[in-house]
Amino acid sequence: MEYNLASLQPALPEIFLLSAACLILVIDLFLTERTRLLTYGLSLAALAGAVALTLYAAGPEREILFHGSFVRDPMSDVLKIGLLLISLFAFVYAKDYLIELDILRGEYYVLGLFGVLGMLVMISANSFLTVYLGLELLALCLYALVAFHRDSGAGAEAAMKYFVLGALASGMLLYGISMVYGATGQLTFPEVAGVIAGGDADQTVLVFGLVFIVVGVSFKFGAVPFHMWVPDVYQGAPTSVTLFLGSAPKIAAFALTMRLLVDGMGSLVEQWQNMLIILAVLSMALGNVVAIAQSNVKRMLAYSTISHVGFIFLGLLAGTDKGYTAAMFYAITYALTAAGGFGVITMLCRKGFDAENLHDLKGLNDRSPWLAFMMLLIMFSMAGVPPTVGFFAKLFVLDAVISVDMVWLALVAVFFSIIGAFYYIRAVKMMYFDKPIDTAPLAASMDTQVMMSINGLAMLGFGLFPAALLGTCRAAFSG
Amino acid sequence: MIALSDYLMVGAILFSLSVAGIFLNRKNVILLLMCIELMLLAVNINFIAFSYFLGDTAGQVFVFFILTVAAAEAAIGLAILVVLFRGRRTINVADMDTLKG
Amino acid sequence: MSFEKFLFYVFAAILVFAAVMVITRKNPVHSALFLVLAFFNSAGLWMLAEAEFLAIALVLVYVGAVMVLFLFVVMMLDINIAELRAGFVRNAPVAILVAIAMVIELVIVVGPQRFGLDEVAAPAAKPAGYSNTEELGLALFTQHLYAFEIAAVILLVGIVAAIGLTMRRRPDTKSQDPSRQVTVKAKDRLRVIKMDAEEKA
Repeated sequence: MEYNLASLQPALPEIFLLSAACLILVIDLFLTERTRLLTYGLSLAALAGAVALTLYAAGPEREILFHGSFVRDPMSDVLKIGLLLISLFAFVYAKDYLIELDILRGEYYVLGLFGVLGMLVMISANSFLTVYLGLELLALCLYALVAFHRDSGAGAEAAMKYFVLGALASGMLLYGISMVYGATGQLTFPEVAGVIAGGDADQTVLVFGLVFIVVGVSFKFGAVPFHMWVPDVYQGAPTSVTLFLGSAPKIAAFALTMRLLVDGMGSLVEQWQNMLIILAVLSMALGNVVAIAQSNVKRMLAYSTISHVGFIFLGLLAGTDKGYTAAMFYAITYALTAAGGFGVITMLCRKGFDAENLHDLKGLNDRSPWLAFMMLLIMFSMAGVPPTVGFFAKLFVLDAVISVDMVWLALVAVFFSIIGAFYYIRAVKMMYFDKPIDTAPLAASMDTQVMMSINGLAMLGFGLFPAALLGTCRAAFSG
Repeated sequence: MIALSDYLMVGAILFSLSVAGIFLNRKNVILLLMCIELMLLAVNINFIAFSYFLGDTAGQVFVFFILTVAAAEAAIGLAILVVLFRGRRTINVADMDTLKG
Repeated sequence: MSFEKFLFYVFAAILVFAAVMVITRKNPVHSALFLVLAFFNSAGLWMLAEAEFLAIALVLVYVGAVMVLFLFVVMMLDINIAELRAGFVRNAPVAILVAIAMVIELVIVVGPQRFGLDEVAAPAAKPAGYSNTEELGLALFTQHLYAFEIAAVILLVGIVAAIGLTMRRRPDTKSQDPSRQVTVKAKDRLRVIKMDAEEKA
């Protein structure tokens, strides 16, 4: 294989984002407090440029680059565009919040961009080595971002907890990878899949490695029983970081699972299916039940995330293209919904006041009817109320599960989402029927308001016309 | 001759010790970081042993990258630790703060 | 028992001993030093597995840089050992049980019946003039170029994050600005005052 610039075309988004991030890092050094917003503008431009290049490099065929380390396929195109757009939302919402807390430093956006790069690497990974490096690139950026508010004791504590458990998860994942490498002698996914399908590898060692890999993946996803870090990190991190952490990485985690389990170890589907069933049921049960008891809205959304992860696993464990499509649709729409939900909370914050408690939402309708309506759409989408997109996401996943004859699992999922609907609706009730405790006017800059409106209306838009996004997701797997 | 299983068993023992260490030292963040280093060492021994017996350099390349990542990880972990201790305002750390120029 | 096997057992025994000491010492400085011992011995094991470059890198980079950083931070922070040891004795039985159970399970899977010499034969000796470093370098810069670039980004992120988290600009810092020093003119520093000569009283 020979190298020339044209042959690097599939990797253009990554190359561009890396160059842009390095450039922004240097430019930021020369900016003063007053011109710091240039970093913000450039970061948004970098993400937009990466979206354009992803579209440019997209295509129906599967291209493999860098001696099998990198793959670009229809799935990676869709995931990358979704990921970049959602990161764009997360970056916009963060700006006002950072200014209010007086922690607007250039490193925030640079680390954010490197984190996005890590996720792109994960989405396009074609070997255990690249998937691991992408994961670590993302994780290192997130650890630093969680501790970004240096004067907040909670932030540093959350970062430490996240760091220790994240590193532990990487250790588990690596031990599993070493076993799979030992059993197959290969590191790239198609070769690993080939050896496993050929039946030459020792089945016990493979399954043994698979267990460690699944444990590592569920740590990163935050699935029960490996969820201990999720509520603490969500609560302790600055809200803008929680927003970033709770949205885009879910898409990357979906990609990670697809690459590791489906691309790499697809013929062991029976083994990992059972593991995922346990994880999915536990996540949906614990997430929805414990969320009811929370009075801190960030903690409540953290448990809600855990339950949504259960749903994503539900789609994956079906083990069919239909299931993968449903899980992908779920991951993308959930990431968008979570970005909006945390976005509303960042908009409630102002200097010296960090909105964290559920009762900070009280009377939101009196303070800003438009914001309250957006939050209503987002909450309904999380709860799965029609006609918002969350309803269809759940419906597609359940349909996929039923079509592989696991009706009991679908019933369990429906049962727990009905329990879950309670706390979302409680939040909506607080916004519309309770008197506001805090009557300070809500000031948000123009760009935040525009993005929030797009975000909220997208809940309704994708809900009324789910076919467009679903068709895109389906095309990613049929090619 | 040394068998592959000998290396793997050393790796397995180290891995278990590091997990036990995490259980033992839940409160002590520095020791947790060291246990993680031990865990990565166990993984590295596995990779190197497989690489040697399979006659394939990819395993050694993987170890090379694990070492790189672990170094960056240690730097960030220790930086978070420093932020954590600073926030808690232990007396000695506050004293040392004034010495920095 | 061949000499190699003897060396293997010596290294492995000290390695396991050092690892036990790392997780049980009261003083984190002792733990860090035992971790150094563990790294040295695993470097020995890697030498036996003919991974010479990585063995040297482990000692030079890991012991030389990362562990020194560890020791530096441990000594810089004032750690209340008694507080950190809380729960150590209470957790001990669980930890020992977990460790024993894990060792048994892991050894069953990776033990001699699967990876013994009869199952996986030892590789043939490498030809004279074979260089591990050269082979590793070739693989690294051709097949694994993409991974190499990502690793570079990871190190950059490590630098940015560590500096971003810990560096604080202090308002009372005294520093020199060379460009201002160079551009200084005599008249900025020296004022010549014209005055009439004073009469002697």
